[in-house]
Amino acid sequence: MVAIFLASSLVIFKFTQVILIRERNADLAGVENTIRMYVKKFDSLPQASPLDEENIKYVLNGNQIAERKIAVTQMFSLRENKMHNFIRLDFPLWANGTWYKVSVAKPLEGLHHLSNALLTISILTILVFILISILLNNLLLRRLWRPFYNSMHLMRNFKLGEIGPLVFPITTTSEFLFMNESLALATGKAKQDYLLLKEFTENASHEIQTPLSIIRSKLDLLIQEEELSQKQSELVREAYRSIKKLSRLNQSLLLLAKIENQQFEYIQLVDLKEKVKGKIEEFRELWQNNNIKANVDLKESQMQINPELLDILLNNLFSNAVNHNAIGGSISIELKNSEFTIINSSHSDALDEKKIFSRFYKTSVHNNGNGLGLSIIKQISRVSRIRLNYKYAGQLHFFSISW
Amino acid sequence: MKVLVIEDEVELSKSICCYLEKDNFICEPSYDFIDAFRKITGKNYACILLDISLPKGNGLDLLKEIKALGKKDCVLIISAKNSLNDKLDGLNLGADDYLTKPFHLPELSARIAAILRRKYFEGQNRIVIDDLSIELENKIVNGKNGIIELTKKEYELLLYFTANKNKVVTKEAMVEHLWGEHIDLNDNYDFIYTHIKNLRKKLLQNGCTDYIKAVYGMGYKFCIELQ
Repeated sequence: MVAIFLASSLVIFKFTQVILIRERNADLAGVENTIRMYVKKFDSLPQASPLDEENIKYVLNGNQIAERKIAVTQMFSLRENKMHNFIRLDFPLWANGTWYKVSVAKPLEGLHHLSNALLTISILTILVFILISILLNNLLLRRLWRPFYNSMHLMRNFKLGEIGPLVFPITTTSEFLFMNESLALATGKAKQDYLLLKEFTENASHEIQTPLSIIRSKLDLLIQEEELSQKQSELVREAYRSIKKLSRLNQSLLLLAKIENQQFEYIQLVDLKEKVKGKIEEFRELWQNNNIKANVDLKESQMQINPELLDILLNNLFSNAVNHNAIGGSISIELKNSEFTIINSSHSDALDEKKIFSRFYKTSVHNNGNGLGLSIIKQISRVSRIRLNYKYAGQLHFFSISW
Repeated sequence: MKVLVIEDEVELSKSICCYLEKDNFICEPSYDFIDAFRKITGKNYACILLDISLPKGNGLDLLKEIKALGKKDCVLIISAKNSLNDKLDGLNLGADDYLTKPFHLPELSARIAAILRRKYFEGQNRIVIDDLSIELENKIVNGKNGIIELTKKEYELLLYFTANKNKVVTKEAMVEHLWGEHIDLNDNYDFIYTHIKNLRKKLLQNGCTDYIKAVYGMGYKFCIELQ
């Protein structure tokens, strides 16, 4: 833009200069004519008037015929009392029976000033124009584009799991209306597909429960048989163990699907201190069994949450702290006004903070968990609007939730 | 005692019947809503096992019918639906207990035993095996030499065994019974061994027979002489 303006003003400047010089040349030619006509009429040289702008000089040239030429020269300007640019026309003239060389000069200063003024005006115009465009952009355009930015903001915060359709702001601009409609359509479709997928997951998990139940019951019956050999017992035992794992895995997946399908919407105010106390009682025996030292520090605390989800959340956090602990290790449980932290010692080093809450993240082959415990914790935190944090310091794993 | 098993999965129904019949229950399977409806209106049962999702109807409607008829039959819901709401719905309609699929058959046995005790032996609520007697009301266990002091878990374990006499019970099933299905304890079931060891020691010290036998690689069995 600026470049175009600069180029155009330069072109205008050049053109004006050329036109003005041509005009001056024509003026000089006019003077030449006047002089020639004067000579023809009176056969003598006209005297230059002091009022004239032109500076006329006659030089006796004898037999020589002077060359006709136009050139820019530096001459002393009487008016301004300094050296100045002049345009000078030299031409030969026959008068009084001899050749003269006539020099007619006109000052170029006016032209110079005019060009300068032109350039200044151009640059000023550009500056004003840029200023106005900035102001327009900032004030007018921002207002014009507001519906666009609003929609983009909505899209940026769009999450598949959330309930309800995206509501775009109402706008009268047809282009934005069209864009919002398209966005609403696309997100609606994505949401629907996502829901279908979730529903499918839930149904699939649900359907798997039935054959699992049957297998489990048959195994329960099989182990009652008196005549099982040791080898057969071991085979049954392994099958039993795997079925157990499969059931648990399936239940975890079902739970995740349910949480994502918003099936735990009911919330109530829960006395967290009582709840945590109860959990500690449930787990104390396990700690003692593994020689795990427990430090408990509980303060009064309350929380708005679905009680079922809270129970699962605490179960998972507590189980996690036992399962990954070392024999003779330690567990610390701290409950503050709006923060709950569980700290456990472990054989394993720091966990990858980015992956730790993703599904099927396992640190070692010795880990018997199904890798869903932490992602269930994460999902529960997400739907319950709890912040979940993990850190590793001094060979201890810190899991904390705050609300 | 007669038990009506309303469950549309034939194989699961067979397993349940097979397991319960060893405990001298007489099981009657029913595979769909209409058949079940006919049976509950026509006869009385000590206990009804009720699946909620049935062909041709909803199990909860059967439950409403049982209550509307003023029947005293115990009802244990067995369902794959495991949300709190489903459970509360069932219990509010008058079911005695709610068991989520998949379950261990010993767990089912223990639940049925608990319901029946609550309902039919009120007042003189006590289990007696030889010299061992368990008073359910105040949770006191007596041996030949007097009161046996048991921890809460040991008491629950003993009760669980008495509901599964002469049956092999796996460590997994015991853990699930004692700690609930939501607690994930990896595969480390060694601590159940500590409980069993302590329970056996206490029973022996108080002059009871050593009922609890380890079954290699499987779990434990509460063996008593059948009369």
